[in-house]
Amino acid sequence: MTVNFEKVSFWYPGAASAAIHEVSAEMLAGEVTLVTGPLGAGGSTTLLVAAGLAPQVTGGRREGAVSTLGVDPSTRRGRAMLRGRVGVLLPTPHTQLSGMAFSVHREVAFAPANLGWDRARIDDTVERAMQLMGVSHLADRDPTTLSGGELQRVVMAGVVAMEPELFLLDEPAMELDPQGAEALYELLPILAESATVLLASTDVDRALAIASRVIVLDRGRLVARGDPEEVFASELAAAKGATTSIAHIVREAGCAEPYPITLEAARTRFLP
Amino acid sequence: MTLRVDDVSFAYGTNSVLRGVSFAAEPGEAVALLGRNGAGKTTLTKLIVALLHPDAGEVWVGDWNTTGRTPEDMATRVAYVFQHTEQQLFARTVAEEVIFAPRQLGVSRRDAEGIVEEVLGLVGLALHRETHPYDLPPAERKLVSLAAALAQRPQLLVLDEPTQGLDRSHVLRVCEILRAQARKGVTVLAVTHDLTVVAEGFTRALVLDDGRVVVDEDVVRIVASEGRAAELGLSVPAGPALSRALDLPGFPIRMVEVARAMRSRFGVG
Amino acid sequence: MIRYIQGNGILHRAHPFTPFTLAGAVVVLAFALPAPIGPLVLCSLMILLPVIEGVGVIVRTAGLLALPFWIFLFGIHGWLGGDPLTALKVAARLTSLIFVFLTVVVSVHPGRFVDALVARGVPFSLVYLLSATLQAVPRLGRRAETILDAQRCRGLRVRGSPLRRARALVPLALPLVLGSLAEVDERSVALEVRGAGSTARPTPLDPPPDTPYDRIARWGLAALVALALVLRIAL
Repeated sequence: MTVNFEKVSFWYPGAASAAIHEVSAEMLAGEVTLVTGPLGAGGSTTLLVAAGLAPQVTGGRREGAVSTLGVDPSTRRGRAMLRGRVGVLLPTPHTQLSGMAFSVHREVAFAPANLGWDRARIDDTVERAMQLMGVSHLADRDPTTLSGGELQRVVMAGVVAMEPELFLLDEPAMELDPQGAEALYELLPILAESATVLLASTDVDRALAIASRVIVLDRGRLVARGDPEEVFASELAAAKGATTSIAHIVREAGCAEPYPITLEAARTRFLP
Repeated sequence: MTLRVDDVSFAYGTNSVLRGVSFAAEPGEAVALLGRNGAGKTTLTKLIVALLHPDAGEVWVGDWNTTGRTPEDMATRVAYVFQHTEQQLFARTVAEEVIFAPRQLGVSRRDAEGIVEEVLGLVGLALHRETHPYDLPPAERKLVSLAAALAQRPQLLVLDEPTQGLDRSHVLRVCEILRAQARKGVTVLAVTHDLTVVAEGFTRALVLDDGRVVVDEDVVRIVASEGRAAELGLSVPAGPALSRALDLPGFPIRMVEVARAMRSRFGVG
Repeated sequence: MIRYIQGNGILHRAHPFTPFTLAGAVVVLAFALPAPIGPLVLCSLMILLPVIEGVGVIVRTAGLLALPFWIFLFGIHGWLGGDPLTALKVAARLTSLIFVFLTVVVSVHPGRFVDALVARGVPFSLVYLLSATLQAVPRLGRRAETILDAQRCRGLRVRGSPLRRARALVPLALPLVLGSLAEVDERSVALEVRGAGSTARPTPLDPPPDTPYDRIARWGLAALVALALVLRIAL
């Protein structure tokens, strides 16, 4: 089990209510796990807690047991052991730039260089990551002059270049056009072949094809978890809007669960 | 107010972005502007609010040519929602942010406060009047910037990715707000990547590719056929897809309408 | 905005520490060389420096920065105090400093400077502080520009008398800084997860070559400074 939460709660500094409340969940190696729910459900917080950034960087208070790649990420020892093994992408790419690289190439090389990898290995991984994210042609550009879409790809390339064992991705396609988003989502199962991928997104329609497990949160509480096909077909998830658009419409039409979550399923259900 | 873009070309230095773009949008029309990253969509919107001026061609908002006008002139007619909220939000509270434009445009404090009340209710942020915009999650900051634009009481509303990062319920709410604006006679033009948003909130779609308008049609026609959408590299949204698959009468495309049609066709259950 | 200007002058090509050594040497020399002739000669040389370096565009900026000092100093010492020689001396010193620092700042690529520091094993936090400061100025500038654009789209009038313009900008200044601070949290997340401050020694990616010429230049400058100090004390 790569990441395991047992009754985990987290409070941001000064917040009266918990951002996540007694959440128990697990994310397995080789899988893409989707964390979803309405805005403010706690998906982003779940990622930060799994990385140990909450409470280490954000401040605040955590309760319950978290194990990330076998250690508690919020202890000093855990942080040291996880350094370079967990890749995090936040939805606002312009705040994700290191501020220390004056070209895209150097931005992508930032993490591997910090980790002290040797030169040949850095060149190799940076080359591969830039190609994978389709940003090789931007190599010499000043990262602060990129468009939102380009920037999000570059920042993701920087995460990929670190070759992490665990990817924590928060709305990684927010700035991308549909084609770009599609390509990024298709990449996730490939990354998951040699790592664990945790994806926080409200875009269930797109994530359905690539998620092997889903966790639905609502206002910080666990609503449902398990197999995406089952969860999204259930009233539990659909009532929170955490389902596909097809299922949402069918539910609005007043039909009973389990809801068909794909067009095919809807056709089978409604057409003789 | 009618928006007329007439054979407009624009380049950043030597980097040509728009090459002879022409279209017009009438009051009450909600026009979606589609296209890939880097197609020139944002540039086009900036030309409309006079943050940029065309190298060739003209942009008309009602009887005003934007050439020779400043963004602050245009503000009396056009409201603009930037793609990234951090480009726009600056005040210490949500209410202060929203009241800024009406006050700048000469609305009395009392009337302006009434406007703030109204638009915050409209976007569902009434409880966050005194919250610092940056204490809100990014998606809700987006609603603050929409409220701030509505407070301007524009006759032309231009939005750059107004639903980016929102969940379905918020997307539907924003689309509903835009439709309501169009019904009031406002001309709405929005950049978006999301065909669901197009189906929910818009009547017409333009597709920009390589600096040119390559498609200008009714939303229904774009979302009606698998082939048409695929040509544009998009997939048909759930509403029209269901409508087509189940052969619903009248070919509804908005989710509520599709659900309604399904209810009457299949009965409840 | 004062920022790196591309070029191929000597300072551009040198190891980043060399131009900064030059700047340091000029500071000492400006005060150590016998006045008023020393500072005057130095001042003339430094005014020529940006032109020789191929960054002559900054002469105007530097001149505008220096001009108030000349007016002020001659006003106080020359006209009121009847001591124009002191005014000349002090003004020449300050002008030397303004010109040399501006020239160095626009001639040293910040990225190369950071690389040089990393290669020398300077601690991460210190390098970050420097580098973040170097990038903060243009970033803040761009941010101010877009926020101003946005407010103009909302009816903010920025044309007109300078007073009117300044008044329009006041409400934007504080929030601008606060907004940037709000991003600091997210930025520190980005650094933390990318191995910043890792115990491993960072790999220098393109350490700028420190040539024998650079070393000779730096030792030469040091010797010059030492000589000037010795003469100053001896005479």
